[in-house]
Amino acid sequence: MSQLSITAKRAGWRFASSLPALFGVLVFTFLLMRVLPGDPAVFFASGPTAGKEEIETIRKQMGLDKPVPEQLLRYLGDIGTGNLGRSLTTGQPVLSDLKSRLPASLELTFSALLIALVTAVPLGVAAALKQGSGIDHIVRFICALGVCVPTFVSGLLLIYVFYYLLGFAPDPTGRVDIFTSPPPLVTGFLLIDFALAGDWEGWRAAASQLVLPAFTMALFVVAPLARITRAAMLASLGSDFLRTARSLGLSRRKVIVTYALRNALLPVLTIAGIVFSTMLGANVLVEKVFSWPGVASYALDALLSSDYAPVQGFVLLMASIFVLVNLTVDVLYGIADPRVSVE
Amino acid sequence: MTIVRTGWLAAALLTSTALLASPALAQTRAETLRHVTGAAINTLDPNIPGSTREAFGLSLLTYDRLLSFGRKQLNGKWVFDLDSIRGELAESYTVSPDGLKITFNLRKDAKFHDGTPVTAEDVKWSLDREVSANVLGKGQLLTGSLTSPDQFKIIDAHTFEVTLPKPDKLALANLAVVYPVIINSKLAKSHATAEDPWALNWLKDNTAGSGAYIIESYKPGETTILRRNPDWNRGSADKPASFKRIITQTVPEAATRANLVEKGDADIVIDLQATDAADLEKKGKLKVVSTPQYNSITFVSFNNQMPPFDKIEVRRAIAAALPYDDMFKAALFGRGAPLYGANWPDGKAPTGEVFPIPQPLKTDLAEAKKQLAAAGLPDGFSTTFSFNVGQAGTAEPMAALLKESLGKVGIKVDIQKLPDAQMSTLINEKKVPFFTEGIVAWLPSMDYFYRNFYIGPIRWNYASLDDAKITEWAQAARFEADKAKYASYGKDLNTRHFELMPQIPLWQPAQDAVMASSIDGYVYQFHRQIDFRDLSRK
Repeated sequence: MSQLSITAKRAGWRFASSLPALFGVLVFTFLLMRVLPGDPAVFFASGPTAGKEEIETIRKQMGLDKPVPEQLLRYLGDIGTGNLGRSLTTGQPVLSDLKSRLPASLELTFSALLIALVTAVPLGVAAALKQGSGIDHIVRFICALGVCVPTFVSGLLLIYVFYYLLGFAPDPTGRVDIFTSPPPLVTGFLLIDFALAGDWEGWRAAASQLVLPAFTMALFVVAPLARITRAAMLASLGSDFLRTARSLGLSRRKVIVTYALRNALLPVLTIAGIVFSTMLGANVLVEKVFSWPGVASYALDALLSSDYAPVQGFVLLMASIFVLVNLTVDVLYGIADPRVSVE
Repeated sequence: MTIVRTGWLAAALLTSTALLASPALAQTRAETLRHVTGAAINTLDPNIPGSTREAFGLSLLTYDRLLSFGRKQLNGKWVFDLDSIRGELAESYTVSPDGLKITFNLRKDAKFHDGTPVTAEDVKWSLDREVSANVLGKGQLLTGSLTSPDQFKIIDAHTFEVTLPKPDKLALANLAVVYPVIINSKLAKSHATAEDPWALNWLKDNTAGSGAYIIESYKPGETTILRRNPDWNRGSADKPASFKRIITQTVPEAATRANLVEKGDADIVIDLQATDAADLEKKGKLKVVSTPQYNSITFVSFNNQMPPFDKIEVRRAIAAALPYDDMFKAALFGRGAPLYGANWPDGKAPTGEVFPIPQPLKTDLAEAKKQLAAAGLPDGFSTTFSFNVGQAGTAEPMAALLKESLGKVGIKVDIQKLPDAQMSTLINEKKVPFFTEGIVAWLPSMDYFYRNFYIGPIRWNYASLDDAKITEWAQAARFEADKAKYASYGKDLNTRHFELMPQIPLWQPAQDAVMASSIDGYVYQFHRQIDFRDLSRK
């Protein structure tokens, strides 16, 4: 019980202390967008005459006719009321865009991270146990390959092989086959929603759309995870307490899994947290290649056209998620290594 | 990759896809048209400032206009025809002998999607909205002398009259473009507010039209699904559109779009990379209709007010130093209509009915050096050459070749690749010295080009040209009813354009429409989108 309350207290404290950072991010992005060269009003004024009047109309519509400090105050006020502005690129309120797109990104990122962890941790452990052996070299080779092939290359390659040549995979156009009717919206995660609705055919359709992009992303992050697992395992395998455990005649399984791996998990967790946040924001190429309607490609499109509101909304969202992920990692630390919770 | 890895992948894919083939797919596939595009629709009303081209395309399906363009064959390809204008919601129209009054007889059987009949009152409200509200149509209709609600009169429920201050050749054509949609006025008015009397906000997210298709679902930036309006009979063959459903999906990656259409999962795509289109054409499995966009031009442009480009010799030197053929091949793989390499024996433009016409330009480095010397810059100069990221696919190879060729005559070029919004802003502020850009005219008549792209401090006057003669002749040509006189103005204008060399027309890129071989009826349209009402499956 006390363990739980200590964790909760620490998490709460962590959360509160990250609020000023969030505010800073908010103001910084706001100013940064305005400093960027490129006037969105001019860009969107595509009419045949594209006269001053049309540009002025769009500027007014975006609130850009006011001085910057006033714009900032209005923006902060809007955020207070949960209004993130309207995107000119999609014509929709940013909040509803992000709401409908975030689950797509999260679902993809979670799946990719799961695949990556399930692959990387055993690989890392195996490499550490047989240091310098053939397995170690193979793992090193895989990691190098995964890191040095950019995601859009591996993505296009996977599409080419599994969709174009072999025809195993469905067409890479979004989260679910266009002819499959989507499930009633509950969580926004299609796999969960289809399962809740009991529509297993739909579930399969969604899962098969997810496989290629998830593997593409996983390929890229297997390397850091496997390397860090290997390094951490090596450190804990060489430590005194493991020598003691071995000398006491504990079973090999107990020595490796219970003592070595558990101690090696801390750095893996840290890296996994960072990898997750990075993937969520940086998977724009994967989203583009697979027409995945996620938040990253949304933000990139907006950025190219200097569409302020969606970019600001996206950065705010990412900052919040980063805070949440850090919190989660913190809590998981406590579980992996109880010493962390003792202050 | 290792055996372990590929094994995993294959196993996962096999299990997940083996049971995929859904029966729904086969059921509707033949009557459904699946279109993939790299861009997105951002409003349902094409009049909202900021509308994308795809939004224009959608509005042609969901709304009707009074008139629409016919089609003609140009070098064996069907294209829209500015000179053949037929009724859409108007059953017929008559123009008074003095050209000042146009009377429209509306179709009596036309209904909006909610079942209410289309009346002259709706037409009046819709056109009043075009010229009164802050909408894109306002600037467009201006080019057809349509500026005030006083010009629009209801005669009776199905007769409507438009009065013009001067006989204007483009008045009719302007009523057939994207903007002057006929809106269900009762429905729209019920959603109007005191601040928004023209229901701009409501129409942005809702459709109140009578068009061939009804929106079934609309997810901005992802998919739009349209269902056929069975009552629609405004097509050329007096019957509803051919496809029951149209799915437009946003697929950002061009290579993926090419894969989709090649595999037969998508039926039509018009925004492929030139390489992919050429490749698919070679394979011969699909139908590739490659139409030079005869209402568009790609330019190498300079700001004529900025030194050293204010010197006519410098502009001519660059025009003589460009490696036209190499650029055309590298940027477009030869897919388009070149606007260089013509021969004007007497130095005068051979025709004046149209703009643009091929220019007597070829690569001639000796001539370029001579012109530079005449400009007082025998050793050349340094400058930047800019293009926007959105055009990088064609502009990047072009810029590299340009840099190399101009280097040979001593002009040092620094290539600048700018984000689209930044490029638009700089061009609007007239701050880019030397760049490449493209233009498109919905109504590609000769005077329209000169009036909209060569006069005044507007964004589209890329060259920032301010020439009294061009201004005078273009304005005079606008209202010239005599065809021979019009052509003679055009000849003067085209000749003057070449002499001044305010910017260098390079080519008209082709629009490559790649479609399943069963698709029939594709016509290149003024708004450079697909008019799905034309299409059918054999």
